[in-house]
Amino acid sequence: MTSVPERPLEQQITLLELIDRVLNKGVVLTGDVTLSVADVDLVYVGLRVLLASVGTLERLGE
Amino acid sequence: MIYLYAIAEELTGLPDVRGVDGAPLGRRSVEGLDLVVSEHDGAEVAASEEAVLAHARVVEGLVERADALLPARFGRGFRDEAALRDAIEGRAASLRDALAQVRGCVEIGVRVLAAEPAPPPATESGRAYMEARLARSEETERLARELHEPLAALARAATRTVGATPRLLLSGAYLVEPGALEAFRRRVDELEAEHSELTFVSTGPWPPYSFAPGGET
Repeated sequence: MTSVPERPLEQQITLLELIDRVLNKGVVLTGDVTLSVADVDLVYVGLRVLLASVGTLERLGE
Repeated sequence: MIYLYAIAEELTGLPDVRGVDGAPLGRRSVEGLDLVVSEHDGAEVAASEEAVLAHARVVEGLVERADALLPARFGRGFRDEAALRDAIEGRAASLRDALAQVRGCVEIGVRVLAAEPAPPPATESGRAYMEARLARSEETERLARELHEPLAALARAATRTVGATPRLLLSGAYLVEPGALEAFRRRVDELEAEHSELTFVSTGPWPPYSFAPGGET
C-alpha cells in the first residue's frame, strides 16, 4: 500500500471538507437573497463526482 | 446586490484577494461589527466551485486580520445597504455572543468511518429485522459518543452528527484553543490507535464555519 499516492487524496478530502463548510455552515441572516437551490445542486454534482473518486477513503486508515 | 463574506470584530484590514466573480472587497460597519462584502450588479452570484473557493479564500485571508470572525454561508447577499443593516441590527446580540465564543479558536474537523457494514442477516421475521436494526443503531450511537466526548472535553465547543450515512459514524467539529491543539491532536491519535477497525480523517485548522449561527432566528 505504500505506493498509494496519499497526497492528492488528502488534498481532495481537504477540498471536500472546505466546500462542505462554505456551502452548509456559516452565518445565515434573515432578509438575505439566496441562490436558487438548483444552482447549489450544480456545485454538488461536481462534489459528488469528486466524492466518488475519494471512495477509497478507507485506504488512508490502513 | 451586496454579497457578505464574514462578520468580524476589530478587523485590521482586508486581504489582498478578489471576491466572488473577481469583485473587489469592501468593508461596512454596523453596530460596531465589521462586515466584509463585495458589490454585484445582478440579484445573485452564480454558484460554481470557483465561486465557492473565492468565498473561502476571502474568509481564510480575514482570519489573521480580525480579533474574532464568523464566516458567512456561501451565496448570501442583500438587496441594498439598508437590507444588510437591518439583518445585522436584528441579530447583533447573538452575533456578538457567537464572536465571543469563537475568539482565538480554530475549528478542527474529525470524521470517523466505520468498516464496511456486515450484510444484513437473513432474518425470518420483520420483528427480528427491526430488533437487529435497533441494536445496530444503538451500538452506533454508543461508539460515536465514546469517540466524541473525549474530544469535546478538549474543546471550547463542539458539534456532531451521528450516522449521516451508513458508514459515516461521526462527523464532529471542535472549537479548539491554540494552546490545546497539540493535546487535541494527540487524543485523536490515541482514539485511532484504540479503534484500529475505524478510519479517522482529521482536517483543519479551519475558520469557525461550524460555530457561526445558522438559519434559525
